Amino acid sequence: MSSDAMHAQTIDSETSSFDASSRESKDVRRGLMDALPVMIGFIPFALVLGAQASQKGLSIVEVPLMTGLNFAGGSEFAAIGLWTSPPHLALILAITFLVNSRHLLMGATLAPLLRHLPKRKAFATLFFMCDESWAMGLSHARKRAEAGHMIPFSLPYYLSLSAGLYLTWVVFTALGAWLGPMIGDIESLGFDMAFPAVFLVLLRGMWKGFRQARPWLVSLVVAALTYLLVPGGWYVAAGALSGIVAAYLWVEEKTVEEKPVQEKQMEEKQVKEK
Amino acid sequence: MTETDLIETNLIDTTVLLTIVLMACVTYFTRIAGYLVIRRVSLSQRAITVLEAAPGCVLVSVIAPYFVSEHPADLAALVITLLAATRFSLLPTVIIGIASAGVLRHLLA
Repeated sequence: MSSDAMHAQTIDSETSSFDASSRESKDVRRGLMDALPVMIGFIPFALVLGAQASQKGLSIVEVPLMTGLNFAGGSEFAAIGLWTSPPHLALILAITFLVNSRHLLMGATLAPLLRHLPKRKAFATLFFMCDESWAMGLSHARKRAEAGHMIPFSLPYYLSLSAGLYLTWVVFTALGAWLGPMIGDIESLGFDMAFPAVFLVLLRGMWKGFRQARPWLVSLVVAALTYLLVPGGWYVAAGALSGIVAAYLWVEEKTVEEKPVQEKQMEEKQVKEK
Repeated sequence: MTETDLIETNLIDTTVLLTIVLMACVTYFTRIAGYLVIRRVSLSQRAITVLEAAPGCVLVSVIAPYFVSEHPADLAALVITLLAATRFSLLPTVIIGIASAGVLRHLLA
């Protein structure tokens, strides 16, 4: 991100001269700023989802209830796609689980960063964990760790980011339900490309070289093939899991071939644990 | 309005409400389960390395369908967006993605 340098500078000055509360309000502002482009990306999806849901007979109260309690766009699109009157409960719950099964992995990667939080706060944090808030929270924590922070994860940053995303999602899905049929073919205008755009920038932020990205390629190929060949929402789980398995196997290869790398990782681990 | 009012005015249907609440429970379970499992165990170095690869694998898998789109315009727009993502921050990339998809779909339609 072009703002990386500026951001690192902000963190440096924080550690020296500012007190905790101004550091927190800085994190809050930073979270809202980072949320802004993602919020813009959310709007067309939220409007479309709301409109589709109202076509399926959900009311203007039920739509924000669903998007507010569930707050997981992928599963909401899947559920609305399968929605009948009355809804097929078991089918919708199974699809919801399948599409959101990636959260299991995401929560696991967040767990070491949330160790300092009491359980109650960690549970609240996890309620707002969507792809974007999770990836951005992780990359913010990584930058803070590099800048020498003892506690990399910033709750003020994460919560203000999440608040922006959450409110955008709930308000605009409700608006979509209200406008309903007035929303035309919004996708033909290209707004749906905001979704991969956000994800690609998030991936760029995680990029550590081709070698480390090999599991991503495995995920991409397996997910794409599964998407083409298997009906339903299996492709996310299949792609993510095969990438993890590949990463697992490649770690083994690395530990056999390159001892120095392993030693370096050990050092990194020790730094992280401090 | 009380809840019974909402139900009587057809703004909330009980079956729909039940489905929504159970959906939310399933989703919340997926959000906390990974955390609950991992926070109890101390991770091996290997597990940490694997977990570090996980975020990218998840994100790539979610957008994989865009890479196998049937529409040439969408694929071309995706390539442009991908190139933009390697150079620009989030907002410009989102704008470039939307604009390229809009223009290319119009031209190649």
